[in-house]
Amino acid sequence: MRTDDFIRELCKATGEEYQDVYIRGRRAGWLEAEDELYPNRDISRKNVARILHMYLLKVRMVPDLPDISRASALKDLYDCRICANHVAQVYLRGLMDAKNLMKEGEFLWFDLDGVDEDAVVLSQIAEMKDVSCKAI
Amino acid sequence: MDNSRPSVIDDKRLRFDSFGGSSTEIFEKKERLPAMGWNSWNAFGSGNNEELTEAMVAKIKELGLDKLGYKYIVLDDGCYKPERVNGRLQADEVKFPSGFRALADHVHSQGLKFGMYNDIGTKLCSGAEVGIYGYEKVDCEDYINWDIDFIKVDNCYYMWDNATFAEPSNAKFSYAPNIKSITVDGRNLSAVKDGTLTGTRAEVKDNYVTFLGTYDGTAPDHTPVGVRSSELHFEIDSDRDKEAELKVAYATGEEEGVGRWLQVAVGDRIFFDDMLPVTPDSETFSDSQIIKIDLKAGSNTVRIMNHRRQENTLHSYCEIKKELINAGGDKDIVFSICEWGKTQPQDWGHKVGDSWRILNDITFQVGADGNNGNAAWESDYTTSITSQYNKCVIMDEFASPLKGWNDPDMLVIGMDRLNFEMNKSHMAMWCMMNSPLMLGMDLRRVDKGDDIYKIIANEDLIALDQDPLGVQAKRIYTTYECDAPDKTYIRDNDRIDVLAKPLADGSIAIGFFNLSTEDKAEPVSVTKDRIIDAIGSKMTDAGKFKAATVYHIKDLISKEEKDCDAGCFGIVSLGLCDCKVIKVTPLR
Repeated sequence: MRTDDFIRELCKATGEEYQDVYIRGRRAGWLEAEDELYPNRDISRKNVARILHMYLLKVRMVPDLPDISRASALKDLYDCRICANHVAQVYLRGLMDAKNLMKEGEFLWFDLDGVDEDAVVLSQIAEMKDVSCKAI
Repeated sequence: MDNSRPSVIDDKRLRFDSFGGSSTEIFEKKERLPAMGWNSWNAFGSGNNEELTEAMVAKIKELGLDKLGYKYIVLDDGCYKPERVNGRLQADEVKFPSGFRALADHVHSQGLKFGMYNDIGTKLCSGAEVGIYGYEKVDCEDYINWDIDFIKVDNCYYMWDNATFAEPSNAKFSYAPNIKSITVDGRNLSAVKDGTLTGTRAEVKDNYVTFLGTYDGTAPDHTPVGVRSSELHFEIDSDRDKEAELKVAYATGEEEGVGRWLQVAVGDRIFFDDMLPVTPDSETFSDSQIIKIDLKAGSNTVRIMNHRRQENTLHSYCEIKKELINAGGDKDIVFSICEWGKTQPQDWGHKVGDSWRILNDITFQVGADGNNGNAAWESDYTTSITSQYNKCVIMDEFASPLKGWNDPDMLVIGMDRLNFEMNKSHMAMWCMMNSPLMLGMDLRRVDKGDDIYKIIANEDLIALDQDPLGVQAKRIYTTYECDAPDKTYIRDNDRIDVLAKPLADGSIAIGFFNLSTEDKAEPVSVTKDRIIDAIGSKMTDAGKFKAATVYHIKDLISKEEKDCDAGCFGIVSLGLCDCKVIKVTPLR
C-alpha cells in the first residue's frame, strides 16, 4: 500500500478529513515531512507503526504504555533507535504482529522495512481504532 | 566520490598505530570542560519544532539555568526537510518556519549557544535523506552560515560499517577475511600453528583464524578497557634487507567477524590495504594476489589485520571537522561524536571530537509535546541509567580536558518511571564522571525550587562536572567482588560503588552509589590511603591530603557540613538507587 493510500484509509476509518491532512498531521506531530514528500512509496512496517502510534498519542490522546521491556523479545527492535518506541507500542497493544523465524523455539522479527499486504494494513488501522478496548 | 569503497587513507595520523600518541593529533584542539545545555531528542524526539525550542530557551532563562552553565541549545534529528533542495540542507518548513539562522539568532540573543545535528552516513537516523556523506563541504558552509556553536554527528546509514540502518553486509569492510596461512617467499606459515594473535577479538576456529577486526561496542556486552581488536602476527627472519613476496590464504564473508578487507603491514609500514576478491564461502580458502613487502635484516613482524572499522569512522568524522574549519576558520564549535561506542571511539575520539558517545541510546521511549517519555534505572540493553554508568565508570583514563569526554548520553532526568533518588543519583553519577550535561526533558514542567530543579541546578554537583582540573572520577571500591574496581566491567547492579575524584582546589569528591533496587544496610568506607593509592597521582597535593589530621566534609546533596578527624570516609547504609556525594577538604 502506498503511503498516501494508507493515510487516506486512516482518514476514512477515523473520520479524519483527508483535505489538508498532511499539513494538519505534521503540525499536530503525527505525520512527518517524509510522508508528504514520498506519498507514492510503499509504506514500510516501521512507518505504519510510527503513524499509528503517533495518531494514538497525538490525536486520540492515548498515553504510551510505560514499560516496553516485553517488546525486547523482538530481535530487531534495537535496530531502529528512532522507531523502537513506535514499534514497541503497536506490538504490545496487539496492533501489529511479529514473525517467528524459527520452526522450533522463538526468534521474533518485526521486519521493520517489510511491507504488509493491503488487507493486513487495513486490519492494523481497524485495530488502532479499537485500541482503548484492547487488553494489554 | 567513489561510493563502492572507503577512501584511501594516506594520512598516518588516521591510522590505528597513531591512536595513542598526542604527537599525532590532526587538529589543534582546545581544552574544554564537558558541554552543558539542552538537547531536543529525549524531550520531543522528531517532534521538536521552533516554538518548543524557543519555549525551552525561555525556560532556561527563567530558571537561571544558563547561569549554572547550561548554554548549548541543540536541535537533534527531525529538524530538516527530508531531502535536499538544490543539494543543500533545508529546515522542515512546518516545524521551523523561520529557518535555522533566525532560530540561532534568537538563541544567541538570549546569551545562549546554538547546536545542530547531522550524520556521517547517507541518511539521518530518522530516515531523512540528508546525511552529510558526500556533502561535507556544502553542509559545513551552511552550518557556519547558520552560526552554530555545537554539532552532534550520528552514525546511521554509514557506508563503511554495519551500523544502524546500514547494510549488514558492510561488515565486509570492517573485518579481515578468515586466514588459514601466509606464504612468504615460498615458505608457508600456518595461521594457527605459526601465527600469534594479539588483542582480544580474534579467535581460532578449526584450522583458521577469524574475527580479525574490532569489537562492536554499540551494545553493552563488552568492556571498553584494553585492546579491543586483534591482529595476526608472524615473526619472519631475514638475512638481509630485501623485497619479499607474500600471499595470504583467505576466505571471505560479509558479516560481523569475517569480511573482505585486508591490511598487511611489516612493523609500522602498511603494504596492503584493500578488498580481496570474493571466495565461494567463508571456509573455502583461496590464495591472494602477490603482495610485495619489504623485510629488514633480522626479525620482522608481519601483521595481518583490519583496523578499518575505526580508521574509516575517524576519517569520516575528520572530513566534517576539516570542512567546518575550512568554512569557519577558528570559530569555536563543540564537536560531539555520536557513533554509540560502535568503533571504540575512546581510542580515537580525542583526535577529532570533544566527546564521544559510549553506547547506544539511554532511552528509546523519547517524549513528545505533552508526553514525558520513559526511562529506566536498569535494563539488559543500553537503555538505562545504570547500563550507561556501568561502562562509563571504568573509562576515566580515556578522558581529559584536552582529549575530550566519555558521553554516556543525554540526561533522562524528568522522564517518567524514574523516582527522585534515581534522578538524583543519575545527576551525581554524570557529574562525577565528567559527562556532558545535556538536559533532555520538557523544561516547562520544571519550577524553581521543585525536586527536578534542585537536582539539575545543584551547583555543588555541577561544580564537580565543571571542575577545572578536569579529572573523571575513578571507581576505587565496589562491594562486588573483583580485583580491579577501576577496570572491571560489572553489570550486576546488586552493589555499592565508591568513586573518588580529585578537584582543582586540593579537595576530593567521594561518591557512594547504591546501584541496587534494594536498600543496602551494609557500612562501606574508604581510607585516605586507598584514595591516595588510586588517584594520588592526579591530585594537586596528595601529600597535604595524606598528612592532614582534620578534614572538612560537605554533603553535596543535603548540604550538611562538618569537620572530621578520621582518615576514613563512609556510609552506614544507602537506600535503593540512592547516593551520597561528599567533598573532602584537608584542613590541617
